[in-house]
Amino acid sequence: MDTAVHPDIEGSLIEALKQGDSTAYKQAVRDYSPGMLAVARFYLDHSSAEEIVQDCWVTVIDAIHKFEGRSGLKTWLHRIVANRCKNKLRSSKREVATDFSEGLEPELAERFNATGRWEVPPKLQFHESADSLMENGALSDCLDKHLSALPETQRSALMLYEAHQHKSEDVCNILDVSASNLRVLLHRARQKIFLMVETFQETGEC
Amino acid sequence: MLMCRDLAEIASDYIDGELSGRQNLSVKMHLMMCKDCRTFIGNLRASTELLQAHSAGHPDEELLRRIDERVSEALKTRRPRDKDDE
Repeated sequence: MDTAVHPDIEGSLIEALKQGDSTAYKQAVRDYSPGMLAVARFYLDHSSAEEIVQDCWVTVIDAIHKFEGRSGLKTWLHRIVANRCKNKLRSSKREVATDFSEGLEPELAERFNATGRWEVPPKLQFHESADSLMENGALSDCLDKHLSALPETQRSALMLYEAHQHKSEDVCNILDVSASNLRVLLHRARQKIFLMVETFQETGEC
Repeated sequence: MLMCRDLAEIASDYIDGELSGRQNLSVKMHLMMCKDCRTFIGNLRASTELLQAHSAGHPDEELLRRIDERVSEALKTRRPRDKDDE
């Protein structure tokens, strides 16, 4: 079950979409497109991904009548995008290049000594809550910059899991990765964000 | 015995509750004894929460506008003609 939208609200939205209500479509486009784009970016370059998301919305107008609610609307939309991306990749015979190598980010791995203890431990404790950290505009900009520098595969996994609150198994289905590879993608992306916040807190620089 | 580096490798699994009972216990034992790893886990968790708070928004307005246009075009062609539209 999707966690982001209350089932009653989602049910009303789906009914309105089935009726072809343009206001409902505007709302749904606003709510769901960022996640759909995150899925598409896992597979495709930026402009192809945007094209796929636009095409998918047109597909949804017809397909919504067949939506039976076995999954949440968000998961259903994300699967449509993923399937379309996979078809596109198949037709162009391209593959997603993904590095699932285990271990730590090199910058973090260097901070342990040969015995596996911290050589350069984390110096500061992030003492503020996420919400108060977010009020820092410079940190928010820095986070944007680092998120856009993440490999697409890591960023998509992170977006679907953290921001769009999909369950692991849904992310694995949508992105076509194994559970263990998803764990690698998530952990590597989180380490990069951890290193970024640490540098920002220590130096005030991005 | 679990070392700091081993713990750092499985830190996300610990945060997400994905470890086996035995692994989870080893992490907890290590954390009881190691202040640096407690700080690391706390900071990694804070980074994760920060991401959740940060990435909820930021739709690309230009893309949304283009999608709205295509959707409203498509809706026009699919709607029954007898439906009153503005």
